[in-house]
Amino acid sequence: MTRQEIEKEIRAIFLREFEVENPEPDVNLRDAYGFDSIDAIELLMEIEKVLGTELTQAEKKKAMDIRTLNQIIDYVQILADCRQTESEKN
Amino acid sequence: MTERRVVITAASAITPIGHGQKPIVESLVNGKSGVATLRDDHFVSRFIHSRVYGTVGYPIEYDFSRQHRKTMGPVSYYACQVAKEILEQAGLPRNFVTGGRLGIAFGSIHGSPTVQREIYRIFFNAGDRESYQGIGAVDYLKSMVHTTAVNISKMFGITGRIISSGTACTTSSQSIGYGYEAVKYGLQDAMLCGGADEYDTTTVAVFDNLLACSTAFNDRPEQTPRPFDRARDGLVVAEGAGAVMLEEYEFARKRGAEILAEVIGFACNSNGGDLILPNLDGITKTLKLGLENARIHPSDVDLISAHATATKMGDIIEAQATGAVFGKTPAVVALKSYMGHTMAACGAIETVVTLYMMQEGFIAPTLHLEEIDDRCAMIRHVQKPEETPVKTAAIQNFAFGGVNTSLLIRKLT
Repeated sequence: MTRQEIEKEIRAIFLREFEVENPEPDVNLRDAYGFDSIDAIELLMEIEKVLGTELTQAEKKKAMDIRTLNQIIDYVQILADCRQTESEKN
Repeated sequence: MTERRVVITAASAITPIGHGQKPIVESLVNGKSGVATLRDDHFVSRFIHSRVYGTVGYPIEYDFSRQHRKTMGPVSYYACQVAKEILEQAGLPRNFVTGGRLGIAFGSIHGSPTVQREIYRIFFNAGDRESYQGIGAVDYLKSMVHTTAVNISKMFGITGRIISSGTACTTSSQSIGYGYEAVKYGLQDAMLCGGADEYDTTTVAVFDNLLACSTAFNDRPEQTPRPFDRARDGLVVAEGAGAVMLEEYEFARKRGAEILAEVIGFACNSNGGDLILPNLDGITKTLKLGLENARIHPSDVDLISAHATATKMGDIIEAQATGAVFGKTPAVVALKSYMGHTMAACGAIETVVTLYMMQEGFIAPTLHLEEIDDRCAMIRHVQKPEETPVKTAAIQNFAFGGVNTSLLIRKLT
């Protein structure tokens, strides 16, 4: 997935699931939109759907430090690239 | 321990006969029932013999943001709505609401059964990861037994103590009673108290299987339940919510709050025996303890809101206990005749409706009480509307598990 595709998916999730339209890319999501730990768990489930694969517990725990939309996109980009590499190896 | 006076400064209810004072009073005046036909739940409703339900059959405009909605099951919508209304009505300053001296006593019989049903559906269908993932992160928060109280605390930033009793039909009478004690003994300066229950057919199934539900009026839902009437044939489960704001008297007076009534006494005891059958000794003792706590004589009470679910034995035992303690002086009304048994909400709703009658200066009759059962005849039933001032009232509630409560309120003159 390209970064642009990921951003489009994440923005769609924010609108559909969290009723946040066009979140600013670098603001703290909790401060700006009240995005909390409950939302973070819901977001991870949505990310699994986007990637079409399960996230490991270790991968999920890494997400707990994320604060901004750009960090979410970075996080998903890394996961998508890892899965792409693994799939090419196999 | 120093005892402080406790007053009610706001009240609201969502009931099968209306939402708020005006529509509820209109229904009482017009003898309008809120009982309707049981809806098909595509689950257990097709097996239930009782085809009646006290239904909130009108739309409610909620304006809760997603930030709050995400942890709320249907029961919390009702709870937060009545909480919002009484906070607005009481007009407490914002810094007081969030300052730790306002607490919450609010409950439901078992959280949100609608959400629990979905969780169990997934459990029983589980076997793959996708099903497991269907259990959302917030399902517990929506369905746990104290979901109403904590959703109220979150929505309004209330930081005082949380009491969340879940004692079936005495849930919200305990909320008010324990809230009263918290303010009376100086633990809090105000308490937001109440109870709620959502539309739930599994509760109907429980009472239906105990042969406690009304079945003879399935084709005429608006004619049941019939407390104290010879033709009564059981209770009607209902949904709704009720809430009152309790404040320490001097605090309320100094800030110029409207005082609807004073809470003058509360008693709660347990039958210490059978968990289902009504207990004459236990109930009689509760009513006496309530009067002792209020330091008043039985003849001081003008009006009794009876628990009166319209079961065969429950009504007889309550009438006997009430007659033994109060005699035939106070008027007795069974408010469930209008709306059915709103479960966890009934104590609060019946307190709110009693306050409305106090304010309006009238006593509503027990609906459908056409022929008083001889075994319930030792009390003064109200069969026609009475225009009369009500100064002091008792609200009686009894629950599965053998829990009894008596709450006494008095209009300030």
